[in-house]
Amino acid sequence: MQTMNVSITHVHGTSWLHRLSPLAKLTWVVAIMAFAFASYNPWPLFAIAILGLFAGLTAGILPQMGRVLLVFAPVTASMLVIQAIAPAICSSDCTPAVQLGPLTIYQEGISHGLSLMSRVLAMEVIAIAVLMTTHPSDLFSALARIHTPYVLNFMLAMTLQLIPVLQREVQIVLSAQRSRGMKSTGFGSLLPSFVPVFAGAFERVQQLSISLESRAFGSTGAKTSYRQISFGPIDKIVAVAGIVVGVLGTAAGLLLWSAGQTPVIILPVWLTVVIFVAAAIMFVGVIVIAVVTLARS
Amino acid sequence: MPDDSAFISIRNLGWTYAATTRPAINDINVDIAQGEYVGIIGLNGAGKTTLGLCLNGIIPHMLMGEQTGTVSVAGLDPTELPVREMARMVGMVFDNPEFQMSQITAAEEVALGLENIGVPYAEMVPRIAAALELVGLTGFDERSPMALSGGQQQRLAIAATLVMKPTILFMDEPTSNLDPLGKEEVFEIALRLNKEEGLTVIVAEHEVEVLAQYADRILVLHEGELVLQGTPAEVFAQGARMTDLGLRVPQVTEFASALAGPGATGLPVTTDATLAWLEARA
Amino acid sequence: MTATAPVVGHPSHVTDGPMIVVREARYVYPRGRVVALDGLSIDVPAGQIVGIAGQNGSGKTTLTKLLNGLLKPTSGSVTVNGMNTGDWPVQKMAAHVGYVFQNPNHQLFATTVEEELKFGPRNLGVPDEEIPERVAEAVEFFGLQDVLALHPYRISFPLRKLVGIASIFTMRPRVFILDEPTTGQDHRTTGVINRLITRLGERGDTVVCVSHDMPLLADVSERLLVMWNAQLIADGTPREVFSDREVMGRTHLTPPQITQLSLRIPSRAGRPAALSVDELVDDIRGVSPAAGA
Repeated sequence: MQTMNVSITHVHGTSWLHRLSPLAKLTWVVAIMAFAFASYNPWPLFAIAILGLFAGLTAGILPQMGRVLLVFAPVTASMLVIQAIAPAICSSDCTPAVQLGPLTIYQEGISHGLSLMSRVLAMEVIAIAVLMTTHPSDLFSALARIHTPYVLNFMLAMTLQLIPVLQREVQIVLSAQRSRGMKSTGFGSLLPSFVPVFAGAFERVQQLSISLESRAFGSTGAKTSYRQISFGPIDKIVAVAGIVVGVLGTAAGLLLWSAGQTPVIILPVWLTVVIFVAAAIMFVGVIVIAVVTLARS
Repeated sequence: MPDDSAFISIRNLGWTYAATTRPAINDINVDIAQGEYVGIIGLNGAGKTTLGLCLNGIIPHMLMGEQTGTVSVAGLDPTELPVREMARMVGMVFDNPEFQMSQITAAEEVALGLENIGVPYAEMVPRIAAALELVGLTGFDERSPMALSGGQQQRLAIAATLVMKPTILFMDEPTSNLDPLGKEEVFEIALRLNKEEGLTVIVAEHEVEVLAQYADRILVLHEGELVLQGTPAEVFAQGARMTDLGLRVPQVTEFASALAGPGATGLPVTTDATLAWLEARA
Repeated sequence: MTATAPVVGHPSHVTDGPMIVVREARYVYPRGRVVALDGLSIDVPAGQIVGIAGQNGSGKTTLTKLLNGLLKPTSGSVTVNGMNTGDWPVQKMAAHVGYVFQNPNHQLFATTVEEELKFGPRNLGVPDEEIPERVAEAVEFFGLQDVLALHPYRISFPLRKLVGIASIFTMRPRVFILDEPTTGQDHRTTGVINRLITRLGERGDTVVCVSHDMPLLADVSERLLVMWNAQLIADGTPREVFSDREVMGRTHLTPPQITQLSLRIPSRAGRPAALSVDELVDDIRGVSPAAGA
């Protein structure tokens, strides 16, 4: 299980989605997020997720999207599993749907779990689709264009840069300690070894800040931008469409699809069992693999 | 008041970092002419970095401590002008290539300085291309700085500072973390910038053989003080003094000195000069 | 291997053949399929000081990591002190081959220098009663009396480099691998490291030193390997290797200045290159006594 680390990296391409302005894409991300939070009813959100996957298909990034979604699957599955057996919404008067040994799966639990899942899935799909079809530099330029504070933007970009660097540093430290005979017997014993990584990061930030200052970083005047973001007519149409979808969706979510208006989803017992078991396997299975990988490393 | 006749004029310069008792540099007096190639040598901790940071105003604006004496760079006072102004005059390159990188692509790294001083986009593009060409990184625009070799990163760092069109370039042990090829690349660029572009180049380094060959003048720092200065021939001829200071002279100079005996004058400091010197003695 | 001799794998096991045996070792990075080492074979006798030179990316670091088992060869074999690295985890190899990383900050994390020195032997299962003796030996060899109780990050960087080497020394490996011990250091520290390497060799330890510092390699190595493009392209005495213009040119490596000078002096044509200033001075004085006036 070598690829436990997720990399939602930019996938090169020239599809319509790639060519769309990052500003338009960001608009859709915000719109879907608002929609997702407003709607309790899972079906519209599952529909958004499927549309998002379809967009990914036409953009030629479906396999990559699928891989990332698979890595996130256990987390998403965990929501279903936990809600199913211990629903948050009905405390004492939950309706049992089926009994699986010592575990009782509640009707409301499955229903609530599906709702939470759909919310996460819709946001995941749109976020991944945008991240994969937008060059990180363009993303940050877009954020700057909508007046995100310069320093915040810079810090976000810097963090992106530092993740692979820190990963590498951690690997070196682990190699150094293993070369001194250390058998990693758990996270606790590894922790002191990361003191050097933090010390190194601190030194890096110090030197970087001097280097940046020496390139006029502290300037207070208006800054110009090298990375130019286009925002043509098509982009404007897409952005407006996004806003419309967002506004309508949020309204519909609050008015038509709120928790109070959504009946408890009642599935046939066999389907409930299948869904629960599948989610449980994903959830538990990956936890086991993670623990074993950590213990063995 | 500093003597303005020199391009860079340093008078009684001293700096003590906050929460320390010993000055990092003390009572430094030196003039540097425009277009000079100056080498600075000294043990680690001798004050080379500190001296450099005084030139572009990082000291005293960004680091805390107490300054004595004066610095004048091209008639400007780094203690009065903000760093962002001095940045257009003095370019700085440091010893760890990777620690100077922060952007997602090489072009953006070079663009950073220009963005900070508000250069319009149309002007940025040719300047970035020119800077990349000067350091031999044409075509590297979209590459990730973190994925470059040490030598390439250092050249990118040089480009990122050159793009601001400084007239002075201070390099603080730029090759100490590079492999031999990287070292060659950086020293070649430093020489070309000095000879062809007329930049005043100040390099703090341990590579005395290279400095002996290219530098017009050598400054020797020891425990914060400027103990020796002169042409490479003058400085490296003082073998005994250098040994006391814990420093090396070029191997060929050591060799000539051993052959010629104490008190010898006109010792060669480069391989070619040594060959000529040996012939003259034969 | 007789029944009474210590078993291979036991920390006290000592091979009676060459200390390091590399047979057609090849290493290919799993992703991207980059060939980092393209079939290398070499024998290193016990007690030899071997220098490795080469540009970054030439394969020299890959080679050293194969030697201590951090990397396992994709094909071929690497055997150190009788232990085939393919059969043992790096933690077990650590008793036989110690790897000193270039940046001591990557190794040091304990609260005192003394704890740092104890870390290695403890991991190897050395009985508690034996550890003070090992620490004392290291303190003496490296001159660490004054810093034993200090935090590793509160001592100067050169001293920290020494602590890094010392913390491997207490593990009593047969082979020391030093990764760029003097890179970025000033003349004074370089001298300390230089003498250290020589003393390790005098003790009978096998030392493999990767470096960009040609004068250092000229001074301490008995044998110099040059890596280029994942291959070993030179293997000889420093004198032989630095005199090889073709190898030096191809790899963009520069012999020490004094060596370059010695190769260009017309009166010395055909004579072996000099590796140090003293050597060349004596040589010149010997060749033409009149010039020594």
